[in-house]
Amino acid sequence: MASKKRSSRWRWIRRSVQILVLALFLYLLIGNRVGATTLLPDDLFFHLNPLTGLSAMLAEKRFIAPMLLGLLTIGLTLVLGRVWCSWICPLGTLLDWTNLRRRYRNALGHLSQWRQVKYLVLFAVLFAALLGTLSLAILDPITILFRTVTSGVLPGLNSLTTWTETRLYRFDSLQGFLDGFDRFIRGHLLPAAEPYFIPSLVLLAFFIGILALNAIRPRFWCRYVCPLGGLLGLVSRVSLVRRSVDQEKCNSCRRCARECPVNAIDSEKDYAADPAECTLCLKCVENCPTRAIAVRPQPQPAEPELEGLTRRQVLGSFGVMLAGVALLRLAPLLRGSEQRRLRPPGTSEDDVTKKCIRCGVCVNICPTRAIHPSGTGADYDGVWTPMLVPRLGYCDYICNRCGQVCPTGAIPNLPLPEKQQTVIGRAEIDENRCIPWSQSVNCIVCQEMCPLVEKAIELDDVTVANSDGLETIVRRPRVIIDRCIGCGLCEHQCPVNGEAAIRVYPDDGEVQQRRRSRA
Amino acid sequence: MSSIDRRQFLERMLALGGTALATATFLSLLSCSKEPTPEPPSDNTTPPPPPPGNAAYLAVARGESSATLPTTLVQRSISAIGGIERFVKPGNDVIIKPNICGSGRTPEYASTTNPEVVAALVALCLGAGAKRVRVMDFPFSGTPNDAYNNSGIAEAVRAAGGEMEVMTSMKFQDTPIPNGKAITSCRVYTDIVETDVLIDVPIAKHHSDTVLTLGMKNMMGVVSNPQSYHTADMAERVTDLNTLARPHLVVVDAIRILMKNGPTGGKLEWVKQTNTIITSHDIVAADSYGATLFGKTALDVPIVLAGARRGLGTMDLSSIKIEEIAA
Repeated sequence: MASKKRSSRWRWIRRSVQILVLALFLYLLIGNRVGATTLLPDDLFFHLNPLTGLSAMLAEKRFIAPMLLGLLTIGLTLVLGRVWCSWICPLGTLLDWTNLRRRYRNALGHLSQWRQVKYLVLFAVLFAALLGTLSLAILDPITILFRTVTSGVLPGLNSLTTWTETRLYRFDSLQGFLDGFDRFIRGHLLPAAEPYFIPSLVLLAFFIGILALNAIRPRFWCRYVCPLGGLLGLVSRVSLVRRSVDQEKCNSCRRCARECPVNAIDSEKDYAADPAECTLCLKCVENCPTRAIAVRPQPQPAEPELEGLTRRQVLGSFGVMLAGVALLRLAPLLRGSEQRRLRPPGTSEDDVTKKCIRCGVCVNICPTRAIHPSGTGADYDGVWTPMLVPRLGYCDYICNRCGQVCPTGAIPNLPLPEKQQTVIGRAEIDENRCIPWSQSVNCIVCQEMCPLVEKAIELDDVTVANSDGLETIVRRPRVIIDRCIGCGLCEHQCPVNGEAAIRVYPDDGEVQQRRRSRA
Repeated sequence: MSSIDRRQFLERMLALGGTALATATFLSLLSCSKEPTPEPPSDNTTPPPPPPGNAAYLAVARGESSATLPTTLVQRSISAIGGIERFVKPGNDVIIKPNICGSGRTPEYASTTNPEVVAALVALCLGAGAKRVRVMDFPFSGTPNDAYNNSGIAEAVRAAGGEMEVMTSMKFQDTPIPNGKAITSCRVYTDIVETDVLIDVPIAKHHSDTVLTLGMKNMMGVVSNPQSYHTADMAERVTDLNTLARPHLVVVDAIRILMKNGPTGGKLEWVKQTNTIITSHDIVAADSYGATLFGKTALDVPIVLAGARRGLGTMDLSSIKIEEIAA
């Protein structure tokens, strides 16, 4: 009975830690989204994550001080092994909870050769970073969860809430309750006012795919794919605290091997666990009927890794990456789709490839929802990097929050006066769609909205023939290119249906030249 | 392995279909449930009734700049038109609608209503026994909270005991406009239409399209799609909206007015200190008087002209009793 007590104690401790960490993760994410001040830095998890830190520094070949927090995690792993994976990682926690199988079916067999995949993924991420692209940071577990929640789950939750509330609000009897509910939820769980969002089904599908892998093997992602797991696995080979089996007590019941959620225990090798795989979840300790298993400091290093990497595989992954990066860089050929690639204020294309870890913190915090994760709308190299979509949301004149929260400095932290002069793009009027230009009817919305003191849109009174052929005076908007900073408020508010009649385009030389030649 | 036979299969399909049907029925009930028509007055375009007793129809208070001037002007001009008790009864739910058009400007640029004026009104309403006083607008740029804070209105209102309300999506409901000419329905904030007392507190300022922004134009901040009003028949559309959302009291803030480059402004040289508050129950009269501060009349401001023609009030300032107050 003593063992029963002990077992439930460990299970509850671990579960509580997992719940607390997941709650902290969501608290920081939602606090960041609704603009609340949180007790800890919003980007804590990205800084604790040694993989994003390492790859960001490799890509940029620059030392990023806050990323040193990742050393804490490395230190923890050196002492305790891969505890991150079963105690801390919020994605790991969700994967723990979504194991569909009641009992772990390690009887299904090992898939041992698959284990190396995560190292290959890890080296691919790091090599790609070294070659100057962080595209593969999309495979980092923390960024996966953050992106999914911010671009998939919360917008969905918001639109569902708004849809339901709006319909129920027509019933007088429900209005009191809805008032209270709405006040409770907006500004706390959901932003006070949430505008439009691109439904990020791809991101959701990616996430659900990872959960679905659980059906093949429990925690398939953590065992075989996760690059952060790979990195921590490499470190934990030399960790101090490890699992040991007392051979005197062990009665070879195989229960530990069967229960191990990551199948780290080899019944052929005296039930020893591969330290690179063991996540110290203590399930074996809980379940051992003879209490033969202990987790304790072991001064001598672990025996040579049970399953490891060959030099050839490492070199192979480097070669594959070289080819891959070359292919990703084909993107400039996709000139057409690049036309509308607007980046957050002060962010260059180079910053995006080299510094952006695709975490989605900027997407999450943008209060006017200007920033969205690009699909391949940018190019393959820039997938899920931040992109401005003015028709959905504009860059607010008095806001510089994205630069303040970016964990790697990909979006520069500009002081407000500087941000207010930073050119994101330039607005152009589509004279075929613009109401005063095409219909000779007044509409000054873009001019009225322009937040600049010296407005970048001016109105010209022009005498034209209206639709009845009569002479009339119409006020036509005209963009003063040199003043425009491309905040996109005009495009966002343009009352024309569908695509706006005034649109912001990136301010590269080509566009400038085209404008000048037209003028 | 469990397998099901045909009977079980059919039963399950039936149950599934039943559930789907029930859900669909419920959802369709939700979407075609009867609109709660907010019981409009029999004719929305009748001119407002005259004030009781010998109270002024419209009051204008002016004074020399001082810290307490806005409060004094609001108090004195309202008492001249019959006191706040004429509008606010004990237990009433009051909504004050200032102009907080965006988050980009602080109050000295005169693109948003003076915070002291709003706070003075909150205090008056609470003093008259109002159950609660809410202040709200639907800014076109920036988040509501940023706009509320930068305008200085949030702080002033809270200090006076009022609430700032972020206009939430669910309360923008498609509502018919029985007397609509250019538009027959709009997506209006229900509380604005249903509240006991609605007080419209525009700041008098220049506007690049409508010449001036005053009380009638300020009501555009109660619909979720104000951009779509900017068309050839804008004046008629705004008038239609004003037949639905009719303020009981209009207080034109002309402490500072924006003389050019409105509605957003941005330079102090465009701002004129006029230290004036105009109050009336008649939105057209208040707007007509507001126009005179810019050297114009109602005839120069299409929206006010359209409102007068529709019978929302009178633009003939010589026909009404105006009380001028020097404070």
